[in-house]
Amino acid sequence: MKLARYKRELSAALAYAALLALVGVVAPSFFSGANLRDLALNNAPVLLVATGMTLVILVGEIDISVGSQFAVCMVAAGWLAKSGVPVLLLPFCVVALGALMGALNGFLVGVLRLPSIIVTLAMLTAWRDALRWVTAGAWVQNLPANFQWFGLGQTAGRWLIVAVALIVLALFAWVLRNVGVGRALYAVGSDAEAARLAGIEPRAVVFGVFVLMGALTGLAALLNAVRFDVVPSNAGAGLELQAVAAVVVGGTAITGGRGTLLGTLVGAALLGTIGTGLTFMGVNPFWERAIQGAIILAALASDVALDRLRIGDFGLRIKEAK
Amino acid sequence: VNSATPQSATDNLKLEAPWRERLFPNNEWVLLVVLAVECGVFGVTGGNFLTAGNAFEVTRLAVEVGLLALALTPIIITGGIDLSVGSMMGLAAVVMGALWRDAHLPMAAAVFVALLVGVLGGALNAVMITRLKFPPLIVTLGTFSLFRGAAEGLTRGIENYSGFSPQFLFLGQGYVGGLVPTQLFILLAAAAACWWWLQRTTYGRGLYAIGFSAEGARYAGLPVARRLAFVYVLSGLASSLAAVVYVAHLGQAKSDAGTGYELMAITAVVLGGASIFGGRGTVLGTVLGLFAIVILQNGLRLSAQPAELAGILTGALLVSTIILDRLSRRAQARTRAPQRAEEELEVRNSQVATLSAVILAAALIVAGSNWLLVRSLRQGTSATGGAASQQNSAAPQGTMSGHKPVIAMMPKAKGDPYFISCKQGADEAAKELGVELLWDGPTDLDPAKQNEVVEAWITRGVDAIAVSVENKVAISTVLRKAKEKGIKVVTWDADSERDARDFLVNQATPQGIGYTLTDEAARIMGGKGDFAIITASLSAANQNEWIKYIKERLASKYPDMKLVAIQPSEGDRDRAFAETQTVLKVYPDVKLVMAIAAPAVPGAAEAVKQSGRADVKVTGLSLPNMCKPYVKDGVIDSIVLWNTVDLGYLTVYAADALATGALKRGDSKLAAGRLGQIEVADDEVRLGAPFVFNKENIDRFNF
Repeated sequence: MKLARYKRELSAALAYAALLALVGVVAPSFFSGANLRDLALNNAPVLLVATGMTLVILVGEIDISVGSQFAVCMVAAGWLAKSGVPVLLLPFCVVALGALMGALNGFLVGVLRLPSIIVTLAMLTAWRDALRWVTAGAWVQNLPANFQWFGLGQTAGRWLIVAVALIVLALFAWVLRNVGVGRALYAVGSDAEAARLAGIEPRAVVFGVFVLMGALTGLAALLNAVRFDVVPSNAGAGLELQAVAAVVVGGTAITGGRGTLLGTLVGAALLGTIGTGLTFMGVNPFWERAIQGAIILAALASDVALDRLRIGDFGLRIKEAK
Repeated sequence: VNSATPQSATDNLKLEAPWRERLFPNNEWVLLVVLAVECGVFGVTGGNFLTAGNAFEVTRLAVEVGLLALALTPIIITGGIDLSVGSMMGLAAVVMGALWRDAHLPMAAAVFVALLVGVLGGALNAVMITRLKFPPLIVTLGTFSLFRGAAEGLTRGIENYSGFSPQFLFLGQGYVGGLVPTQLFILLAAAAACWWWLQRTTYGRGLYAIGFSAEGARYAGLPVARRLAFVYVLSGLASSLAAVVYVAHLGQAKSDAGTGYELMAITAVVLGGASIFGGRGTVLGTVLGLFAIVILQNGLRLSAQPAELAGILTGALLVSTIILDRLSRRAQARTRAPQRAEEELEVRNSQVATLSAVILAAALIVAGSNWLLVRSLRQGTSATGGAASQQNSAAPQGTMSGHKPVIAMMPKAKGDPYFISCKQGADEAAKELGVELLWDGPTDLDPAKQNEVVEAWITRGVDAIAVSVENKVAISTVLRKAKEKGIKVVTWDADSERDARDFLVNQATPQGIGYTLTDEAARIMGGKGDFAIITASLSAANQNEWIKYIKERLASKYPDMKLVAIQPSEGDRDRAFAETQTVLKVYPDVKLVMAIAAPAVPGAAEAVKQSGRADVKVTGLSLPNMCKPYVKDGVIDSIVLWNTVDLGYLTVYAADALATGALKRGDSKLAAGRLGQIEVADDEVRLGAPFVFNKENIDRFNF
C-alpha cells in the first residue's frame, strides 16, 4: 500500500534495476567497489544540481542556465584560491556567488514574473559568453597545493564530496516532506493563486527556490573543481539537460507540484550509469547518445501506464499568475 | 483594450483597434526600433555594413535558423515547444547525404526521402505528445538526444558527404540576378505561407485558441489532438527542409549539422513577442526577432568587436524585451477601460525608459570595448618601442604608403587553449610588422560559423585572410570567393581544398601527427600491448583523420600493439577523466592512454594518477603548460605537438608577405622575423616536424 505513493519513482527504479541486471549479466566487473565509488564521485556534482533543479521544477519553473553558472563558479573558485583566499572560506564565497546569480534569476522570474525558460535561456548564453570573454579560454593553473581535495588527501576528499552531496539531498528531502516551507513548494507548484490565498507568498517562494538553485550549483561547482588541481574554463556544457533529465526521469512532473527527491536520486543514478554501463558492455560509443535518448523516452512511457495526464496538460502549462 | 490579443481579431477589432495594434499586437514595433538602432550603430562602427551586398549576405545566414523559427512559431503559440529541431537537421542531412552518395539515388529523390525522415521524426514527437500525453518539453528533450545520436550512429560520426552537383549547391550558394541569395526565396515563401496560414485561416486561429486553453478549444469543437499533431509534423518537415538548405549552403552533410540552432530559433520566436505560455505570437514578430539577432552578430563582426558580446547582448535584449512586454501589459490591465489617453502615455513612458536603458547599455559596451581596443593597441606600440619601429621600417610593407595591412586570422575555436597560444605568437608578429590583426572565430561547435566570419571579412574588406580550417569542403567555397575579390588567402593549422587558398602554413600533416603519436606509443610500450584512445568528439574531423593514420601505422609497423577502445571526451576535461577511469577498469590490460585533444590529456592523466596505476602511462597531443605537472610526476611520459606560438607568428608573417607581394609561388624562402629563413615548398610554408615534449625539455616552453 505504501508503495502506491511512490509509483512515479517506481518506474525509474524498475528501469534502473533492469539496467543493473543487464550490466550484471554481461559485465559483472561493473560492480567492483572502485567502479561504484568512481561513479558516485563523478555524478555527485550532477546530483547536487539535480537536487536544486527538483525544487525549481516543483514550483513549476525551470532553470536552463545552471551549466553556465557552474562554469562561472568553477573559474571563480580557482581564482579565489589562487588569490590567497583560505580553503576553509572557499565554500562560503563560491556558494554565495552561485546564490547571487540564482538571485538574479529569482528576481526576474519570481518578482517580475517573467517566464523562467526565457530568462534562464538568456542567462545561459550571457554567462557563458561573458566567461569566454573574461577568461579568453585560459585555464586556472598553479593553484595552491591544498586546493585539490581541500588539502585532505584523495581518500578523505572523495568520501567528503559524496557525503556532502548525499547529506544535502537527504536534508532537502526531509524538509520537502516534513517542514512547512517544503510543503509550500508543492502548494505553489500546484496552484500559485490557491497558495497565495492560503497565506503563502508565491513570489518569495519562487525567488527563494532560485537562490537555492544557484547556491547548490555553486556548491556542485566547487566540489567538482577540487577533484583536480587545474580549473578549465569550459566546464558544465550540457549540465542543464542532464539535471532536467534526471529530475524528470525520476518522476517529477514538469508542470510542477508533484515529485520527490528520492525520485531524482534514482533518475540521476540511472542516467549517470548508462554511459559507463554501456562501455562495460562493450557497446560502441557511437550509439551511446541515441540509447540515452531512448531510455529517457522509455522511462516516460512506463510512467504513462501508471499515471495518465489530463487533457489540459498540453504544453508547458505553468500557470501565468496575474 | 484587451482585444489587443490576436485571438479576438474579429470584424469588430478591425474596425476599432488602431492600426498599430492590428499590425503589432505584441509590441513588435519595438524590434523595428532595435533594428534601426543596430543599423545606426553598426553603420558607423562597421566597415561596409550599410551596403546592399551585406544586406543580402545577412539574409543568407538567416535562412536555416529562420525556417526553424517559423516552424516553432505555431508550436509555441499552442503552448508547446520543440527542442529536437536542430538534431533533426543533423539526421536529415546525413540521411540525404548517404542516400545520394552510397545508395546512388538521384538528388531529388534523396531530398524527398530526407523530407520524409523529417515528417516521420515530427510524427514521432506528435504521437508521444498527443496520444501518450507527455509534456512536449520532455518528449523533445528525449528526441533531441535520439535524433542526434542516430545521426552519429549512422555515420559513425566520421562520414562527411560532399561533392554535390553545382545545380544543387546553387540552392545554398548561388545568387539570383547576381545579388539575391537563392535560399532567401525559400524563407520568404515559408514566411508568407506561415503568415497566411496562422493569421488568416480558421485553422491557424484555432491554434491560438488551443494555446489559450486546450480544454476550452476542445469544448468549442476543435480537434485539439489532430491540430497539435499537425504542428509537430510540420516542424519536422521544416527542420529537414532547413537541413537541405544547410547542406547546399555548406556543400557538405555531416552529423553535426544544426548543433545549437534550436536555442537560436527559440530566442528569435520569443524576441518576436510570442508568449512561451501559448496563445500569443506573430510571424512578423518572429521574422523581426530573427533579424535582430542575425544583424547583431553580423554587425559586431564587421565592427571587429569580440563575438562573445553577441551572446551577452542577445541575452540582455531577450530579458529587456520581455520585461518591457510585461510592464506594458500590466499597465494595460491596470487602466482597463476609461482613461485611454493616460494609459497610452504610461505605456509609452515605461517602454521608452526600458528601451533607452537597453540602447544605453549596448552603446556603453561597444564604446567600452572600443576604448579597451585602442588602449591595448597604444600600449602595444609604446611597449615595443624603438626596436619594433626599426623592424617596422625594415619590414617589406611599403607598397601602399600609409595603408596599414589588415590581416584577419581565424582559429577553429576561440576559447581553445591551443589557439590562444597561437594568438600569442600572432600578436607578437603583428606588433613587429605594424599590421592590424583581426582575430575572430567560432565560440561554439557550429560548423557553419567559420563561413559566416569569412563572409563578414569579405564584406568588411581585409588584405589577407588566414584560416585554421574546421570543415574543408564547407570553407573552401567562401575562400574561393575571397580570392576572387582579390583578398590573399592563407590556411594554417589545417588545410582547405588546395585551389581555395594561396599558401598553407604547414606545421605537420595528419599523417605526420598520426605516425609520430604511434611511434611515441610504441616507444613507451616497448612495441607491444593494449592501448586506448580518448578523442575529442566522435565526429571531430581532425581527430578521425589522425586515428586513421594511427591505425595505418599500427597495421604496417607494430602488429603486436592493439587499439582496444576509442572513447569521446567532447573536449571536456572532466569527461575525459571519467572516460579514462572507465577504460582502465573495462580493459585492465591497457598500458597506455593516448589522448588526442588538448583538454583530454590532463583529464586522462589525472584519472591515471588517482587510480594509482603506476604501470599505465599517458601520451597524446596537448599543450605543455596544461600538462607540465603530470609530465614532471611521470604520469605523462611525453606529449607531441609543435611550437604553437611560432605557428601563429609564422602565419602572420606569411600572410603579410603575401599581401605586400613579398611572397609568391615559386619562392623557396620566407624571411620570418625571429624564426629566420623559413622553407617554402611549392604552395606550403613549413614550420618543421612535430616536436616531442618530455620531462627534460618541457620547462623551456611557456604556452
